[in-house]
Amino acid sequence: MAKAQATSGAGQGGFRQAQAWLHTWCGLWFSWLLFAVFLTGTLAVFEEPITHWMTPEHHAEEEAALAASTRPTASLGQRLDWGVAYMQKHHAGAGMWELWPADAKGAGELRVFWFDSQRQYVSAELDTASGAPLPAASQPPARLTLGGQHFVDFHYELHAGKVGLWIVGIAALAMLVALVSGVITHRRIFKDFFTFRPRKGQRSWLDAHNAVAVLTLPFQFMIAYTGIVISGLTFMPVGVVTQFGAGMPGAWAFQAALNEPGKPRPSGRPMALPALESFALRGQQLMGQPVRAVVIDHPGDAAARIGVYGWNEDAGAQRRLSATSGLAMFSAATGEVLQLRLPGGVDGGKASLTQSVMAGLHMVAFGGLALKWLYFLCGLAGSAMMATGAILFIVKRRPRHLGEFGGATARVYRLIEAANVAAIAGLGVACIGFLWANRLVPPGLAQRDDWELAMFFGVWALALVHALARPAAAAWKEQLGLLAALCLLLPLLNALTVGDHLGAQLLRGDWESAGVELFVLATGLAAGWSRRWMARGKSIAGSAPRPAASLESEVQA
Amino acid sequence: MSEWLAGLLSLALAFAGMAALAFAMERHYEQLTGGRNRPPARALRCLGAALLLAALLPCVWGWGATVGCVAWLGFVSAGAIGCVAGINAAPRWAARAAWAFGPGALLALAWVCIAP
Repeated sequence: MAKAQATSGAGQGGFRQAQAWLHTWCGLWFSWLLFAVFLTGTLAVFEEPITHWMTPEHHAEEEAALAASTRPTASLGQRLDWGVAYMQKHHAGAGMWELWPADAKGAGELRVFWFDSQRQYVSAELDTASGAPLPAASQPPARLTLGGQHFVDFHYELHAGKVGLWIVGIAALAMLVALVSGVITHRRIFKDFFTFRPRKGQRSWLDAHNAVAVLTLPFQFMIAYTGIVISGLTFMPVGVVTQFGAGMPGAWAFQAALNEPGKPRPSGRPMALPALESFALRGQQLMGQPVRAVVIDHPGDAAARIGVYGWNEDAGAQRRLSATSGLAMFSAATGEVLQLRLPGGVDGGKASLTQSVMAGLHMVAFGGLALKWLYFLCGLAGSAMMATGAILFIVKRRPRHLGEFGGATARVYRLIEAANVAAIAGLGVACIGFLWANRLVPPGLAQRDDWELAMFFGVWALALVHALARPAAAAWKEQLGLLAALCLLLPLLNALTVGDHLGAQLLRGDWESAGVELFVLATGLAAGWSRRWMARGKSIAGSAPRPAASLESEVQA
Repeated sequence: MSEWLAGLLSLALAFAGMAALAFAMERHYEQLTGGRNRPPARALRCLGAALLLAALLPCVWGWGATVGCVAWLGFVSAGAIGCVAGINAAPRWAARAAWAFGPGALLALAWVCIAP
C-alpha cells in the first residue's frame, strides 16, 4: 500500500516536476523579451494619446480642424464631382480612382488616391470650397516622430521587420507553453486563488506571480494566441505557397483572390462614368453606414465597378468583434448591386471572419475607452507576471545555488540578475527616455524620428551596461531612482521646452495630454516608492542584497 | 447604457462576487473575523456565483452579447485583482466595500431596467 502510494506520487510528481522544469526555463529565457513585448504592447493600447502628446505642434491644427468640421461645406455629391473632375483632368489613365469625400459627418477634408506609374499609392487633397487641388505639404512636420506607433511596431516586430516578427512569434509560442506548464505546476490554483502574503520574501514573489497570472489567465491566453493568429500567414506560409505559388507574385495573387473577388476585367469599350452621388447614397442605405470612400475600378470603361465603403465610427462598431466596415459594390453600367458586405462581415468566408475577429480581439478595436482601460490593466498584469517570474527565479536561488550550470553557476546567476535589472527597470527608463528625446531632439533635424529611436535603444543598452557593471541591488536602486526622476521631471521638461503643463491641458480639456502626464507621474511615484522600499528592506533585514523591486514599479515602469 | 456606467456596474458586481467567493474560504474568513469559526461557505459561494453572473448583465446591455462576453471576462479579472489587493491590505474594508458595491450596483441595474 505504502509502496503503491509512493510510486503513484512519484509518477505524479514526475510529471509535475517535468512541467515545473519546462515552466522555469521556458519562462526564464523568454521572460525578458516577453516583458518588453508586453509592456510596449500595453502602452500601444494608448497609441493615439501618446502620439498626441508627442506632436505638440499639431495641437493647434487639430483644434482648427475640429472647429472647421462644424462649419457647413460642400455637399457629398459636389465633393464627389470635384474628385472625379480632378482625376479625369490629371490622372485619367489610372486604373483605380479612390475618393474619400468627407468624414462621417459629411465635413472634413476631401482626398483622392490612385496608383502612379511606378505602382506607388499616392494622394492629393482638394479644397472643400472650390474643388481646386491644394498644394501638397511641402515639408515634413517640424517634430518628425514615430509617436505612439513606436510602441506598436516594437511590440510585434522589434523594429526589425520580418525577423523581429518571427522572434516575437516564437516568444508568444513560448508564452503559451509557459502558461500551460505554469497552470499544471501550480498545485493549489484554487486554494491560493486570492492569496497574497506580503513581506515574506520568496513566498510573496510567488504569490504575486500566481495572482496576476491566474486572475488574468483568460486575457493572457487570448492575447498571446490572437497575436500569433494575426501573423498566421507569415508563420504558416505553406497554404498560400501551394495554392498561389511562392514569393511576391504568389502573395499578390493571394491578396487579389482574398480581397478582390469578382473584380471585373476591362471590356475595352469606353463609357462615361455616371454621377457618383446616387451610388454613394444607395450604398449608404444598403450597408447602414456613412460613406468613407468611393472606389472606381476601370473608370471610363463599360465594365467599371463602383465600390462604396462605410465609416466605422458609429456606436454599432463598439459592439462588433470584427472591425471591418460595410461595403457595397455596383456595376457602373447597370447600377446593379454586385456585392454587399454588412459592417463586421468579411469577404473570404468563415476562416477570414475568424481571423478578423481574432485581430479585433487583439487590438481591442471594439468597446470604446472602457475596454481600452481593461486591456491596459490586464496588459500591466501580464507584464507583472513576466517580471515577478524572472525575479522569483533569482530570489529562489539566492539563499542556495542549485548548480544548474556547474562551475559557472554563480556567474550565470549574476548575468541573469543583470538581465532582470536591464529588462525590467532599464526598459522603463528607455520608454520614458523616448518621451524625453521627443522634447530634447531639436525639431527640424533630418531623420529626427530615427534620433528618437536611437535614444530609446541607446538608453536601454546603457541600462544593460550599467546593470552588468554594478552590484545587483545597487543597479536596481539606481535604475529605479533614475526612472522615478525622469518620470517626475517630465512635466517640467514639457513646460520648459514646449510651454505646456497639466493645468493648461486640463483647462482646455485636453485629456489625452493630461492622461499621458498623469500616468507618467503615477509611474514616477511608484518607482520612487519601490526604490525607497528596497533601501529600507535592506537596512532592516541586513541580509544580502536582493533584487526586490516592488510589483507596482515593474507594472508601471 | 453608456459604456462607463456598464463598466462600473460590472466591475462593482465582479468585485463583490469575488469577495464573496474569497470569504467563503476559511483562510480569508479568518482574515476578516480574526476568529476560528467556519464561514457560511455554501451561502457565500452561491452569492458570489450569482453576483459574477449578474456582472454579465451590464456588459451585454452595454456592448451586446459578443463584445459583452469579452468585457465580462475582463471585468471579472479586474474585480479579482482588486479583491486580492483589498483582502490582503484591509480585509474589513474589502468586505464593507463588497457589501456597498454589490447591492448598490444591483439597485442601479434595477433602476436602469425600470427607467426608460
